[in-house]
Amino acid sequence: MKHLYSLLFLLSLLLLIGPRGYGQQLAPPAKTVTGDFTRVPFGQFVRELETQTDYRFYYDATAPPDSFRVSLAARALPLATVLQRVFEGTPYRFALTADGRAFITSGVSIEAELPGLFFRPTGTLAEGPVVAAPADELAPTATPGRSRYVTVAEYKVYEIGMGGGNGPATLAGHIRDVKTGEPVIGATIFSESPSVGTSTDQFGFYSLTLPAGRYTLQVRSVGSKNTRRQVILRGSGRLEIEVEEDITTLKEVVIEGEKDKNVSSTQMGLEKLDIKTIKQVPTAFGEADILRVVLTLPGVKSVGEGSTGLNVRGGATDQNLILFNDMTVYNPSHLFGFFSAFNPDMLQGVELYKSAMPAKYGGRLSSVLDITTREGNKKKFSGAGGIGPLTSRLTLEGPIIKEKSSFLIGARTSYSDWILRRLSDKKFRQSSAAFSDLSAHLTHQFSDRDAVYATGYYSSDRFRLASDTTYRYANKSASLKWRHNFSNQLYGVLTGAFSHYDYDITSEGNEVNSSRLKYSINQTSVRADFNYYPNPKHSIDFGVSSLLYNVSPGGLTPLSAGSLVVPNILDREQALESAVYVSDKMDVNQRLSVSVGLRYSLYNALGARTVYEYAPGESRSENTIIDTVSYGAGKVLATYHGPEYRVSARYSLSDNSSVKLSYNRTRQYITQLTNTASVSPADTWKLADNNIRPQVGDQVSVGYYRNFKSNTIETSVETYYKSLRDFVDYKGGAVLLLNRQIETDIINAEGKAYGVEVLVRKLTGKVNGWISYTYSRSLVRANAGTPADQINNGRYYASNFDKPHDVTLVGNYRFSRRFSTSLNFNYSTGRPITLPIAKYYAGNSLRVFYSDRNAYRVPDYLRADLALNIEGNHKVKKLAHSSWTVGVYNLTGRQNPYSIYFKSENGQIKGYKLSIFGRPIPTVTYNFKF
Amino acid sequence: MAALSIFRPGLLASRLLLLLLLAGSAGCVEPYAPEVIDAPTSFLVIDGFINADGPTSIRLSRTASLDAKATPPPEAKARLQVEDEALGVVFGLTETAPGVYVAPATRLNPAHRYRLRIATSKGQEYASAYLPVKLTPPIDAVRWKPQGNSVNILVSTHDDTRASEYYRWEYVETWEIRSPYQPNIEYYNRAVSSIRVPYPGVCWSTEQSNRIVLTKTTSLGQDVVSDFRIQGVGAQNPQLYSRYSILVRQQSLTKEEYTYWEQLRKNTESIGSLFDPQPSQVTGNVRGLTDPNAMVLGFVGTHSVTEQRLFIDYKELPTEWRRQSGYEACLPPDTVFIVPRPPAFSPVEPQLAIDIAFGGQALLPISSIPGNGPGSIIGYTAKARDCIDCRTRGTAVKPSFW
Repeated sequence: MKHLYSLLFLLSLLLLIGPRGYGQQLAPPAKTVTGDFTRVPFGQFVRELETQTDYRFYYDATAPPDSFRVSLAARALPLATVLQRVFEGTPYRFALTADGRAFITSGVSIEAELPGLFFRPTGTLAEGPVVAAPADELAPTATPGRSRYVTVAEYKVYEIGMGGGNGPATLAGHIRDVKTGEPVIGATIFSESPSVGTSTDQFGFYSLTLPAGRYTLQVRSVGSKNTRRQVILRGSGRLEIEVEEDITTLKEVVIEGEKDKNVSSTQMGLEKLDIKTIKQVPTAFGEADILRVVLTLPGVKSVGEGSTGLNVRGGATDQNLILFNDMTVYNPSHLFGFFSAFNPDMLQGVELYKSAMPAKYGGRLSSVLDITTREGNKKKFSGAGGIGPLTSRLTLEGPIIKEKSSFLIGARTSYSDWILRRLSDKKFRQSSAAFSDLSAHLTHQFSDRDAVYATGYYSSDRFRLASDTTYRYANKSASLKWRHNFSNQLYGVLTGAFSHYDYDITSEGNEVNSSRLKYSINQTSVRADFNYYPNPKHSIDFGVSSLLYNVSPGGLTPLSAGSLVVPNILDREQALESAVYVSDKMDVNQRLSVSVGLRYSLYNALGARTVYEYAPGESRSENTIIDTVSYGAGKVLATYHGPEYRVSARYSLSDNSSVKLSYNRTRQYITQLTNTASVSPADTWKLADNNIRPQVGDQVSVGYYRNFKSNTIETSVETYYKSLRDFVDYKGGAVLLLNRQIETDIINAEGKAYGVEVLVRKLTGKVNGWISYTYSRSLVRANAGTPADQINNGRYYASNFDKPHDVTLVGNYRFSRRFSTSLNFNYSTGRPITLPIAKYYAGNSLRVFYSDRNAYRVPDYLRADLALNIEGNHKVKKLAHSSWTVGVYNLTGRQNPYSIYFKSENGQIKGYKLSIFGRPIPTVTYNFKF
Repeated sequence: MAALSIFRPGLLASRLLLLLLLAGSAGCVEPYAPEVIDAPTSFLVIDGFINADGPTSIRLSRTASLDAKATPPPEAKARLQVEDEALGVVFGLTETAPGVYVAPATRLNPAHRYRLRIATSKGQEYASAYLPVKLTPPIDAVRWKPQGNSVNILVSTHDDTRASEYYRWEYVETWEIRSPYQPNIEYYNRAVSSIRVPYPGVCWSTEQSNRIVLTKTTSLGQDVVSDFRIQGVGAQNPQLYSRYSILVRQQSLTKEEYTYWEQLRKNTESIGSLFDPQPSQVTGNVRGLTDPNAMVLGFVGTHSVTEQRLFIDYKELPTEWRRQSGYEACLPPDTVFIVPRPPAFSPVEPQLAIDIAFGGQALLPISSIPGNGPGSIIGYTAKARDCIDCRTRGTAVKPSFW
């Protein structure tokens, strides 16, 4: 076996070097070394060299052995000098190639570059013109544990296409995991010379257009081992690439698939997190929580830690489009926001667009949170799961038809009900609190050209808390996608999706009042999206979409014959939101890349419904209704439409720094009605109609990006300004449930938000993670209409989620392959609050008089969490891999205020501070995978 | 809105907190005293309504800063008048105590609209908005029912004309107090002698409601309030020890007045936990005439009041309930020895011992402790005044309705 490797290696070495000679100017790899080494094992020394220089080392692990120790002091010495010194007086020889390879051999040295017309001189690097070394001394041991398949594939030269023209050819295909057959999303494939690259989409599909010729394509992705393919491109064709999972990735928290994406991509305001990163961040209940981790990103905030409502760049919680495999999720949380409703074992990762939203997405003002599941293992049956203090989960996956179709199904459930029934307190025994979620994902590959994907999602919550009132809410969604490749340059995806959210609140205490309150929203959508790659300089996306909302805004019905409750069922609301879009991402030249997109959306509010008209110029109230109009089924009662611009550009200042600019407009036709500090499951979604206008937002952002230390440290500064029109705010004490004239309690406010986000990320090494600082403001003004409609006399005031300063640190330290620790630190300014400012006597009790809205702030928020991940041994072949996560949430036990409130008790006014996690909370979770 | 008030999630949130606590979490509520609260200017506060069929009583006061120790100051020497929109001044109010303005019963015309006009001693003028008269329907019944570990006071009413719909209740609770001791001696003129005037055996204490109790029937098919709970008295509450009475006063409100009280209740009784609505500035329907931008608080409605009284005797309560008199800490009595007693040898003279024990009036003698010899007294049982004289907890004057 070893001989085979060696042989292949040598063979490929020759093949590799051969075509390299055609005068292509390669960027010289960085090759200076700095550091003090005292008896450092050779293996560690090499890793250090690999970090400091762009060289990759190839040598037999037994020669030199780890017992060979290095002592050296270097100050910006060339690598060649360093190696010369290290190997002085030893039998070891080295050779460096121009494309960043270092070969270390014992006894004989090799000539890394062949001499002659095509080959560069090697200078003084090698000690003699030895052409080849004995094969067994040159085994490619730098890649231990690689599967034979991949290794073979790396050294094979693929001939693609027919003909021998010099014209451009398009290479397309998928990048998949070799073990599971799952597509690898966001993997990059690129040729270093000429520098052309692309990344895979959500199907693992890539399309790369290059002039005919010979290339080494590098493939990089999160959680996979780097690999390469050698191709001779004669014409357009396909290349399917399989990559190996990097089982020992504990050391890496790779945030972005491609190392220099921070600088080189035109996209700005995008945050990508893969599930491995998400799993490292400590949480209150021990289970990896996708929304909690999203909350650690710059520009993302929430009003309190018991809430998963996201406020992205000063936007409201309803301004985020939360997509789970293209299905809109209306309530992404369990237990009133303490858990996110996504099973972490199902997930591939999450992308959050804070600005420069792609034209494909629309319908929400602030952000798109795109959560994708993995694809099931197409090759063998496997599973994963976890047992935590409140919940347990299990995920199973496997092939249905081997290599062609697979399933992935995951379930999660709480057992708090079981715990509650065992408590002695009667209050608790009468309570129940249960939630669960179930998701399933099926894929089937008909051919190279056609594939279908089906996803189903269900989550439900049920509470009965020592009272006669039961709360229940559920999400039900399904999507079906058909993907067809028309050619290597064009493919399309047809998606049909259905999303449903409902809740009901049942009261059974007093028969006279026994009743049930219900709310539900259905959303049915169809969309066709196309990606077209006409040539390497352009990448065009276009498509159409249409979605139908069907809302039943609330209904109160009696539960028993003795109930006096009159059925009060609000008219259903229906609306159709349609859009067409096109966008082109083009490389103008090496330095400038521009992405231009236009989305045009059209919204029709539909009958049957009765709507009210109000006297113009007066505060809307029941008394100012001047007309009541009834519309028949399907009749349009209000129409809104408008363009949404999506423009972004990137200008590279140098290889490792760039400036980006973006402008986008978004329109939102549906609003969440919430009058409480945090999102509550009883909040309702309201469609725009003749009285409630859609919200429109504009955002301009500029950013500077720079990478250091061979792209291992990323830095960025992004600044933005946002303005929002017809932002919804409420009159004091507004009634939002079962209100037929909801518009009388709503104020159309305007909002503005601005801020700066500074981020430093270190992607590799024993210590990695990110630290961010955000300064941001989010302000609202309600100055239209009559004084009754104004808040704070029409002046700008801080929104509920205006938290100017925010510092977040997510850090990981790896002790060894099996032990790693994560630290999470968060500081932010306290959120605004309306405080009492005076007391007075009324109704036989002291009362408080409140300040202007949001005139004060709660104390600052500060929290640190620590987690230790202990992995089982790393034998690749064993029955089940398991790991333990031991963590402490809120390490310092600081009593961060969630809510501050004042109560009149026995005639006295007392202020209280409510903390949800007021002391350190230890957790243990056991995870397994088989 | 009885049907919907149960959907208020605030209660839920506090329970949820308990749930999280048991889930190994660590929620907690602790007192909070913000420093930023400085006293703003003191705003005029009007508390009361124009009684359409009975005596009117209006209180005027000023707001005070939250950390002020004193209660908010009354606004004295103001001139108050009730005005008819069509006919002008109907009657004036006279000040009976600082800030308390009253007028005898007057019957207002239900077809007219009325307002309250105020002129302060400093010359500032204010007026409430003109409001129609709301006549409150009679209370059908006030019942009580033992539920769980407390007595719930339930009220029922109806209005066949559907004119009421919005209701508010106030109540006054009165209960008997029986102290455990009836002393037959007293300390008088530096000596313990037979009591001249015995302490009263029964007193009565009275308390005004300070909660805002509201409901509305707009979501029901009829204007019917059935067994609406307005108060709950715990089984251990000394109010139920002997005899308890509650006077329920019912008012029907306009929608605006109901909204005002509901906002005030939301602001001061139920703001807080996770899903409660934000507090808001609640001002009312009074505006400044001199200065239209003057901040003035209070809602002056125009309506009548109906009332009904309920009595509960302890004998009617479930027998398994253990009553509490409120005097549990007073048992047993203390003993004051006036003769030396081994082993705690007291060198004090009997006269001095008596003076020390009873001279300060903190301790009252209850009865003598006889010695071995005939007529000899070795000491007295004694207890603090609060344990003996029930007037420290109420009045000995029997209420007229008792």
